[in-house]
Amino acid sequence: MMMKKALMAATALVAALGISAAEAAWKPSKPVEFVVTSGPGGGTDQFARTVQAIITKHNLLDQPVVVVNKGGGSGAEGFVYGKTAAGEPHKVIFATNNEWLLPLVAKLAFKPDDLTPVAAMAVDEFLLWVPGDSPHQDAKSFIEAAKAAPGKMKIGGSQSKDTDHILVKQIEKAAGIKVTYVPFKSGGEAATQLAGGHVDANTNNPAENLGQWKAGGVRPLCVFAPDRMAKGEPVVDGKGWADIPTCKEAGVPLEHYQMPRTVFLPGDVPQEAVAFYVDLLKQVREKPEWQEYITRTSQSNRFFAGEDFQTFIRNNEDEGRAVIAAEGWLVN
Amino acid sequence: MENIASLMHGFGVALTMHHVLLMMLGVLLGILVGVLPGLGAPNGVTLLMPLTFSMDPISAIILLTSMYWGALFGGSTTSILFNIPGEPSSVATTFDGHPMAKQGRATEALTYAFLSAGFGALVGVVLITVLSSWVAKFALRFSSPEFFAVYFLAFASFIGLGGSSPFKTVISIMLGFAFTAVGMDTVSGSLRLTYGIDELIRGISFLVAVIGLFGIGELLLTMEEGLRFDGVKARVSPRKVFATLLTLPRYWLTLLRSAAIGCWMGITPGGPTAASFMSYGLAKRFARRRDGFGKGREEGVIAPETADHAAGSSAILPMLALGIPGSATAAVMMGGLMIWGLTPGPMLFIEQKDFVWGLIASMYLGNVVAVVLVLATVPLFAAILRVPFAIIGPVILVICVSGAYTVAGASFDLWLVLIFGVVGYVFKKLDYPIAPMVLAMVLGDKAEDAFRQSAIMSGGDLSIFWSNGLVATIMALGVLLLVWPLLSLIVQRLRPSRDVGATTA
Amino acid sequence: MSTNERSLVSRFAMEVATGCATLAAGVVVVLGALEYEIGWDEGGPQPGYFPFYVGLIIIAASLGVLGQAFLNHRRSREAFITREGFARVMAFFLPLAAFTVGSYVLGLYVGTFVYLAGVMIFQGGYRWPFALAVAGGITGFFFVLFERWFQVPLLKGPLETLFGIY
Repeated sequence: MMMKKALMAATALVAALGISAAEAAWKPSKPVEFVVTSGPGGGTDQFARTVQAIITKHNLLDQPVVVVNKGGGSGAEGFVYGKTAAGEPHKVIFATNNEWLLPLVAKLAFKPDDLTPVAAMAVDEFLLWVPGDSPHQDAKSFIEAAKAAPGKMKIGGSQSKDTDHILVKQIEKAAGIKVTYVPFKSGGEAATQLAGGHVDANTNNPAENLGQWKAGGVRPLCVFAPDRMAKGEPVVDGKGWADIPTCKEAGVPLEHYQMPRTVFLPGDVPQEAVAFYVDLLKQVREKPEWQEYITRTSQSNRFFAGEDFQTFIRNNEDEGRAVIAAEGWLVN
Repeated sequence: MENIASLMHGFGVALTMHHVLLMMLGVLLGILVGVLPGLGAPNGVTLLMPLTFSMDPISAIILLTSMYWGALFGGSTTSILFNIPGEPSSVATTFDGHPMAKQGRATEALTYAFLSAGFGALVGVVLITVLSSWVAKFALRFSSPEFFAVYFLAFASFIGLGGSSPFKTVISIMLGFAFTAVGMDTVSGSLRLTYGIDELIRGISFLVAVIGLFGIGELLLTMEEGLRFDGVKARVSPRKVFATLLTLPRYWLTLLRSAAIGCWMGITPGGPTAASFMSYGLAKRFARRRDGFGKGREEGVIAPETADHAAGSSAILPMLALGIPGSATAAVMMGGLMIWGLTPGPMLFIEQKDFVWGLIASMYLGNVVAVVLVLATVPLFAAILRVPFAIIGPVILVICVSGAYTVAGASFDLWLVLIFGVVGYVFKKLDYPIAPMVLAMVLGDKAEDAFRQSAIMSGGDLSIFWSNGLVATIMALGVLLLVWPLLSLIVQRLRPSRDVGATTA
Repeated sequence: MSTNERSLVSRFAMEVATGCATLAAGVVVVLGALEYEIGWDEGGPQPGYFPFYVGLIIIAASLGVLGQAFLNHRRSREAFITREGFARVMAFFLPLAAFTVGSYVLGLYVGTFVYLAGVMIFQGGYRWPFALAVAGGITGFFFVLFERWFQVPLLKGPLETLFGIY
C-alpha cells in the first residue's frame, strides 16, 4: 500500500516536472547521447568529441554528454539508429554530407529527411596532393600527365562512392581526363599510401595530410574552393595554407567542393529542442577551443542553421546526385 | 647511439613520482577494462580523455599508454581462467591457457602469460628505440599487395591440417569469411549480405562472435559435464610464481620467435590479434612434440602472449611516425594527440622530442609496472573463483552478454551472442575447429580489401603480388608455410613405408 | 550398451543436422552474393566474387561432412548428448535465453537483476533476502561502472524511464 502510494506520488511529480519543462524552453532531462557516424579517430569523431569537450569544460549543459560511435556501413549504422530514435531529442547525430549522399548509393532503410537538420558548424576543404618527390609542381602539369596516359594515374581516397570518389569523378569531368580511383579505409591510410608513392595523388582534407606535408612526404597542388584558404602559420619552408592556389586558378574549374561538419536530431522532435541545440552549438563556437580546432584542422569556420542549412543541403545533394547518377551508382 | 641518448633524456622526463603514480593508476584501470569482454582499451581511453585535457601531453600519454598495457594484460587473465577473451588479441591464449587452468595449473599459466607478455613488450619497445627511423621508412614501403601478402602469411602459418575432418576445417574458415563480408564493402561501397536487415549494416562484430563462441560455448560445455571450475581453485603462492619464472628461459626459442613475429606484425599493420594467432600456429608447427597443443602446453601460452604484446607495443610506432592507427585504441589516442595540439607524423620525432622519448621511456617503465601489478592481482582473481558457482556462473554470463551489447550498443547483438554461444557449443562437440573461423573473421575483410585494391592498382593483373622483392618474399614464405604440413606429411608417409619394406625383405 | 539407453540425440543425427545447417548457410551466402556482380572486370574481382565462391565452398564442404557422417554411421553409435547432460545444459541455457529475452524487453539492468536473483534463489538455493542483496549490489555496480565511469550506455527499458533514472 505504502509502495503504491509512493509510486503514484512519484509519477505525479514526474508528470508535473514534465509539464513545467515543456512550458518553458526545451532542456535535456537526461544524459545526451552524441551519435558519431564514423569510427573512433575519424574526422567526424574528432568533431563530435571536440564539441563534447567544450560543452563539458565550460559547463554548457546540466546533463552529461556521452559519445557513441556508430560508424558501421560508412555511417549508415548511425543514421538508421537515429531514424529508429524518432521523437527522442536526447540523441544528437554528428555527420558530414554523407547524411544525404549515402542513401543515394547504398540500399538503406533510411531517407535523408528521416532526421531533423540542426546545423553545419564548419566546412572542410579538399585539396589535390601529390607525393613529395612527384615531378608535378603544379596542377596543370599533373592534369597534362594524366591526359597523356588515360587510366594510368592512380588517385587514392577514403571509401568508395563517397566524397573523395565523387570529387575524383568531378575532376575527371572538369579536366577531361580518366584516372584510376583506389579506395582505402580512411583518409589516414590514403595519406601514407601517397607518401609511400604507391598512388600518384589523393584528395585528402588538410588535417589528414598535414603531418606528411610537414615531413615532405606529400605536397599540395591546389584547393577545390572559390578562394584561397585562410592565412595561418607557415607549414613547410615558409609556405602555408594560403599559398596554395585554387584549382580554378590552376586550370581545373572546380570550386564548390566542401565537406560540411553537420549535426542532426532524430525525426519528429519538438521545434524547441532544435532551437535549443542551435543555441548550444552557437555557444560552443564562441569558445577559444573551437577556434583552436578550426585552425588546427584548417577548416573554414562557417555556421548554417535553419533555412540556410536546408538550402545548403539541397544544393549539395543536387550536385552529388548529378555525379552519382552519371556514374550509374544510384540505387533507387 | 643518438637514440640511446634521447632515451636517457626520455627516462629523465618520465621517471618522476607523479608519472609513476599515473602509470599505476592507468595500469589498474586498464586491467579492469581488459578483464571485461566488450569493454576494451578504447573505452578506457574515452573515459580518461577528458581528464587528460588539463594535463600536459606527456603525463596524459603516459596515463593512456599505461592503460593500454593494463588492458592487454587483463585480457589474458580472463582468457586463462574463464576461457573468455577479455580482449580480441587474447583469443589465442585461451587455446592452451584455459586447459592449463582446468588442470589446476592456473598460476603457472598466468605467470607464463604475464612474463612472456612483458618480454614481448620489451622487445617491441627496444625495437622502437633502436630502429625508429628505419622502421618508419620501412613501413612506408607497404602498400595493398604487401598487406595482402602479410595477411596471407599470417593465415598460412596458422591453418594446418588439424586432427578433425578437413571438411569441417574448411567450413569453419569459410563461415568466418562469410561473416566478415557482411556489411559495407570498402572497395565497391555497396552493402553486401545484409538481406535488407538494418541490423546487419554494421556487420557481424568479431568480438560478439568471440564472446559467444568461447565464453558462452565454454560455459555450456562445462555445464553439460557437470564441472564447476574444477582445479582452477588452485591457490596462488608466490613460490609457485617464482618457480615458474625460473623455467621460462627453457622456452627461449619460442620467446624469441614469437617476439620477432609480434614486431613484424606490429610494424606491418597486421595487428596484435593476427600476430598472436600466427605465433601460436608457428609454435605448434615447429615444436619438437606436436601433441598436447590445445590441451595445456606451456608454449601454447607463451607464444601468443609474447607476440600479442610485441605487436601491441611496436604498433605504437606507425601511429606516431606515420599517423596510421594500428588499432581502435591507437585511433582514439591519435585523436587525443591532435586535441593536445600534436600532429602525428614523421615530424613528431623531430619537433616533439621530449614527448616522443618520454613516451618511449614510459613504455619501458609502464610494462614493468604492469607485470608487477598484474601478478599482484592474480590472488584476487583466484578469490573470485572461490565464489560459489551458482553466483559466479551467472555473473560471468551477465558480463558476457553486457559486454556483447557494449561492442556496438545494439540490442540485436544480444541475440547474436546467444546464437554464437550455441554454435560454439555444437561445433566443439562435433570437432569443428573454431579458431580458424575466428582468424578468418579477423583477417578476412582486410585481406579481401587489400587483394582488390591491388587488383585495381594493377588493372586486374595478378602479377602485382610478385612485382617487387618485398611482396614476392612474403608471398613465397606464405606459400611455403601453407604447403609445409603437406610436405612433412609426404616425408612421413615415405619414411615408415621404407622401414616396413626393409623389415619384410 | 548403457550409454545408448540414456542417449537423447545421437551424434549421427547432430552431424546431419549441422551439415544441413551449414549447407543452408552456404546457399544463403550464395544468394546474397548474387545480388552483385560476381565476375572480374578491369579492376579485379567484383563485390560478389569472393562471397559467391565462399558460399559455394561451404556448400561443397557441407556435402562432404554429410557424406562422411553417412559413411561412419554404421560403425559409430556414439551419443551427442545424454538425457542427464541435456537436462544440465537446459538448466543453464533456458534461464540464459530468458535473460536475453527479458533484457531485450526490460533493459539489461532489470534483466540482470531478475536473472541473478532468480538463478540464486531457484537453482542456488539461497534465501531470497541474500539473493536480492547480491543481485542488487552487482546490478548497481554495473550501473555505476558502465553509465558513470565508462559512459557506455547499456540497453535500458521502460522501468528506468518510469523511475526517471534515465
